Amino acid sequence: MKRLCLDPLTRVEGHGRVELELENGRLSAARVALTESPRFFEGFLPGRPALEVPSLVCRICAICSGAHRVAAVRALEQAWQVQVPPVAARIRELLLLGGLIESHALHLFCLILPDLHAVDSILALLRQDQRIARRGLALKAFGNQVQELAGGRVIHPVNVEPGGVLFFPDPAALARLAEAAARWQDELPELLAVFGEAWRFPAAAAPVGRSLSIAPSDIPRLSGERLRVAGVGDVDAAHYGRLIQEQTLSHSHARRSLCQGEPLLAGALARARNGLHPSEPDAAGPTGIHGNNGCQARELVHALAQVRTLAEELLAEPRDIPLRAAVRVAPGSGTGLVEAPRGLLIHHYGVDDLGRIAAADILTPTAINQAAMEAQLLADLAEIEDEVALSSVAERIVRAYDPCISCAVHVLRK
Amino acid sequence: MAKLRVLYERLTSCCGCQLSLLNCEEELTALAEGVELVAFPMASSRPDDGRALDVVLIEGSVSAPEEIRRLMVLRRRATWLVAVGACALSGGINALGSVDRGTLCTRVYGEQGSCLEVFPPQPLRRFVTLDLQVPGCPPEGGELLGVLGALLRGGLPALPDFAVCMECRLRENLCLLQERRLPCLGPVTRAGCQARCPSLGVACEGCRGWAAEANRGEAFRLLIDLGLGEGEIRRRMTRFAGGDHETVMP
Ligand code: SF4
Ligand code: SF4
Repeated sequence: MKRLCLDPLTRVEGHGRVELELENGRLSAARVALTESPRFFEGFLPGRPALEVPSLVCRICAICSGAHRVAAVRALEQAWQVQVPPVAARIRELLLLGGLIESHALHLFCLILPDLHAVDSILALLRQDQRIARRGLALKAFGNQVQELAGGRVIHPVNVEPGGVLFFPDPAALARLAEAAARWQDELPELLAVFGEAWRFPAAAAPVGRSLSIAPSDIPRLSGERLRVAGVGDVDAAHYGRLIQEQTLSHSHARRSLCQGEPLLAGALARARNGLHPSEPDAAGPTGIHGNNGCQARELVHALAQVRTLAEELLAEPRDIPLRAAVRVAPGSGTGLVEAPRGLLIHHYGVDDLGRIAAADILTPTAINQAAMEAQLLADLAEIEDEVALSSVAERIVRAYDPCISCAVHVLRK
Repeated sequence: MAKLRVLYERLTSCCGCQLSLLNCEEELTALAEGVELVAFPMASSRPDDGRALDVVLIEGSVSAPEEIRRLMVLRRRATWLVAVGACALSGGINALGSVDRGTLCTRVYGEQGSCLEVFPPQPLRRFVTLDLQVPGCPPEGGELLGVLGALLRGGLPALPDFAVCMECRLRENLCLLQERRLPCLGPVTRAGCQARCPSLGVACEGCRGWAAEANRGEAFRLLIDLGLGEGEIRRRMTRFAGGDHETVMP
């Protein structure tokens, strides 16, 4: 038996490696090992005041700090039965959209685009003065502007607390945002075209895993009350444990999630397949899991349109409207669901009668995708015998999921 | 001018500090002109060439034997070793997970957790001499660019060590502590963020760690006056400052 090891995985967020086992030149096993040092969020939260949670859990992962913060706050609000003022819900949605734009642009332009041009980083493309790299970075910067305006800070936002938000974004900046979003809407189709060109991606087997996302409602939103697993059905957030079962692994610091013994798939492709976004996966685009990148591109188009609408709606609001409902800390439990850029994120908390965390459970999209990643490697690489090709295609498969390894292992359940 | 050979390393962290740097989209092109990124795994697939380095930026705290080893090797290779962010400076949020590590491991991973080689997260200065410490959770992007700019010109920058309050005054904000009776940590927190949060009406949560000569006793008393409990104040004030500081609290 021979072993190939891709260590470390590069152009992914976090420390991880892929181990491939070959038997007589044929792939016989594939493991994705997420090898970060754990930070035990679920271990140290119990006993701390529930009100402290939002500021702590956003530090699970920088790229999705807004998504973590919103998911945590929604879980607490559910536990305390708080009705958030609609204007605050809009400001939060704007924050989530900014995060999605920043993260998708980072993934597509900084992490995927170098593969499409066979270079090792976006800096190489910038040195060649490639317009697409420059504009991709500008789009990423726009996502950050949205996050900063709605959240107060680009990373680890401060403007989301149980009950609502703390401040209304600067109206002049909101107006500029709406205009800029309109300009981006015109430019995007051309800028994103490469991610829909099938020939730039490796040939691939069908995507593995049952699609998991929040269940669609009338208005497209990045946070919801119900979960959907394709082919299985919808359940209320509180019953997430019925759809998702977790296992600990000996080779990885992240747990693996399954539904009825089968891998789950979270992320842009899963959202598209579950009908969460109006745009269907593009039949002519990249195949297999690489279709996830095409779906990310389409989500960007959609997100820019929504940023514009939201900014305009917020500008039409009266300025003296309350941003935060009263919160009474009480015992209870709640579950918050958010579509983070790389897939479904679940925060669940139990609060005791002193207002402290009694139980914490956090399921992140990369941990959810781990089983699918391994199965996808086996499915896609079965026919490849050349070792160099094996490694490079394997890395591109893992990268296509947009894994965020720190998110997967920095949360560990008790 | 020879390019500055820079390596970015990350230990136990959330990636926020390096993301702050990558978020300087406008300046990345200019940066690429002055700086040779020898390794930056989140942004580049280029393998480390193993040669001497001018600058090593490290984010995250040390929480595994393997991380001590990496840190030592990089100290030897670097002219300037720069610790970036609260995790690297004080343990940051990670240090909250210091309580009874063994139990945490098995609680989280079951029996196999007992063989995980991890220990309570430590700041870098426990193991190596640092040439510069950039505070923040995360630091401001402009601050990181400023550090690289100064190093490019051949010297270490002077970072502010006074309190966030000073920057609040400069921006002519109203005082959240006195006028809105919010538990703002501006008086004891190190400046450099241009009083980012108070300028939006949000109380400072102390993410940049202690200012030099911070009058913690007085800050404690002010917060007691606002009606906060002692335990809550202690938790608030040490959230980013790491376990180290528990002992110096009033
Ligand atoms: S200091 Fe803050 S932003 Fe930087 S790695 Fe640590 S938690 Fe993340
Ligand atoms: S105001 Fe305080 S919490 Fe906000 S960025 Fe500055 S130091 Fe950090």
